[in-house]
Amino acid sequence: MTQAPHTTRSVLHVRNLGLHLAPDFAVVIEAIDLAPGERLVMDAESGAGKSTALGLISGALAHDGLHGCMHQICGIDVDHDAPRALYARPDALGFVLQTNTLVPYLNARENIRLPMRIAGLIEDSAWEKHLIELLGLGSLLARAPSALSVGQRQRVSVARALLGRPAVLLLDEPVASLDPGNVSQVEALISHLSEEAGSGVLLASHQAQTGHFADARRLAHRVIKHHDITYSLFSDAAAIQAETG
Amino acid sequence: MGRRSDILSVTLAIRELRYDWQSSFCFIAALVGVLAPLLILLALKNGVIGAMVDGLVENPANREVIPMGTAFYEQSFLADMAARPEVGFVIAAPRRINAAASALRNPVSRELERAVPLIPSAPGDPLLPDAQIVEGRVWLSNSLASDLNLDSGDMIEMLVGREIDGARETARAQFEVAGVAAHENYERQAMFMSLPDLLDVEVFRDDRAVTIEQYSSSRPNPERFASFRMYARDLADLPALLAALESAGVQARPRSENASLLLAFRDNLNFLYAAIAIIAVAGFWAAMAANLRGMVERQRAILSLLRLLGLPAGAVVRIPLLQGAVLVTTGVFVTLLIVLPSLFMINAFFTSPSGETVAKLGFFDVVGAIVLGLLTSASAATWSMVAVHNIKSDEVLRNG
Repeated sequence: MTQAPHTTRSVLHVRNLGLHLAPDFAVVIEAIDLAPGERLVMDAESGAGKSTALGLISGALAHDGLHGCMHQICGIDVDHDAPRALYARPDALGFVLQTNTLVPYLNARENIRLPMRIAGLIEDSAWEKHLIELLGLGSLLARAPSALSVGQRQRVSVARALLGRPAVLLLDEPVASLDPGNVSQVEALISHLSEEAGSGVLLASHQAQTGHFADARRLAHRVIKHHDITYSLFSDAAAIQAETG
Repeated sequence: MGRRSDILSVTLAIRELRYDWQSSFCFIAALVGVLAPLLILLALKNGVIGAMVDGLVENPANREVIPMGTAFYEQSFLADMAARPEVGFVIAAPRRINAAASALRNPVSRELERAVPLIPSAPGDPLLPDAQIVEGRVWLSNSLASDLNLDSGDMIEMLVGREIDGARETARAQFEVAGVAAHENYERQAMFMSLPDLLDVEVFRDDRAVTIEQYSSSRPNPERFASFRMYARDLADLPALLAALESAGVQARPRSENASLLLAFRDNLNFLYAAIAIIAVAGFWAAMAANLRGMVERQRAILSLLRLLGLPAGAVVRIPLLQGAVLVTTGVFVTLLIVLPSLFMINAFFTSPSGETVAKLGFFDVVGAIVLGLLTSASAATWSMVAVHNIKSDEVLRNG
């Protein structure tokens, strides 16, 4: 596993990370540099491959190994075939899934602590208490996921992703399944808590034009066709600018 | 990481089984449904069925070879036969007509039985296991002892009659009753005695020069005998023994024409049980493999999430293996909870004709069931483990 150049302060460094989802369709992240505490939004239209891009960034999806591909989290090269513990520990990467998936046979507290248990890390009890309090989960900790509402499950997912104070927090449409009345509240909590955690945030959302992420930097998105293949390209203008000087 | 993820695998496997308790219950019920009847069948086979079949197969009478026709058998021939591996027991015998007492009498109560067969015997006689037959000491068949009201340690009087020139002469001899043969080994009246004692009877009947006073004089054994008693070492040795006799020019037949049928029956019974067990285990294996595979399919998103959260592939793959082991262990335990009291009830309410325990389950039968169950579960879990191994961390992103 090669170390990232020490010249970069990025907690997430991506170049030419791509995947063919179909013979005629590929998703490519041309460039991302995410600094600690920085926020970046992917607000491309539905079907552009935002979730695929997050899957690639998280290391869960295997990339195609495009020319010039580089992918580091906290300066550690991400290798899809290597154990995730090497690059995706809960203090390096937190991921809030669009699906709100929780382990159904663990209660809310056990779900929140699961990534830390897997990694063998001890949770910061003050931070855990703070998270739980702010997310309004105090009375729900002993409940099974089946006894939680969609919004409550989403808040448990947020707590699970943030408990390790991850350097990078990936959010995949975190409020998409919430009723409009809760969207603003949950967004505010995510924004506040990720700031407290010092996490660099990459948010994939089609609802981020307004609200707490409205003023965050955007990933540019464009679609090009080349040799009958449609490429959905995401790029961070600032990263490219920094690179080209 | 290894030990921690091992503990986590166990925890997650058990928690999932508890959560999906209805599936677990069905799974255990299926195992109990297969294993309990199988163990009860095994217990019955070990108990009354096996005892009955073994009783038939082991009955020494079924191993007896009876010489046919009129012939004389040299001492050396009998010695050669005794040395053969197929021969369990052989002893010379007098002519059948001489091998009977005119009467046997209880000298105390004067009870008397006429024309009682006399059977030559010696240590190793399969009809009298553990008996030490020596001159002057006899064993009685159970029915004779009962008719004469005699038991071990009593004396018995034998009357041997002959007729010379129209005059009847009767010699008398007394023996100590050394024991009583088991009823199942010999059901009719008979007295088992040493060959020299029996030859005295033959000599007195055949040789008019021997007077009553000379009845029991010691004399050398003859070189040739009119008959013999012979038993194969085992029922399976009977065909080889008959062939050996035939090649020696001796006409003989087995006492039991059904001996080979009996042997085949016992073998078939074992085969039948093995076939039932194999079919049942194969059915259970298929049901278990399908159940575990179904559980994996229902848990795809969660298993993918565990991978995404960093649980190593090996730890995730172990989950169905552990679940199979837990389910089988629980299933075997529940089966024993049902089967052992059932066997106790069967044994309490039913008795076999021979007094054998009706249903018997040994320690090794139970251990065997557990080991077989675990091996079955481990092999049945292989399919699921392969399936889990193919579940990647990205599935939960799409299908969670």
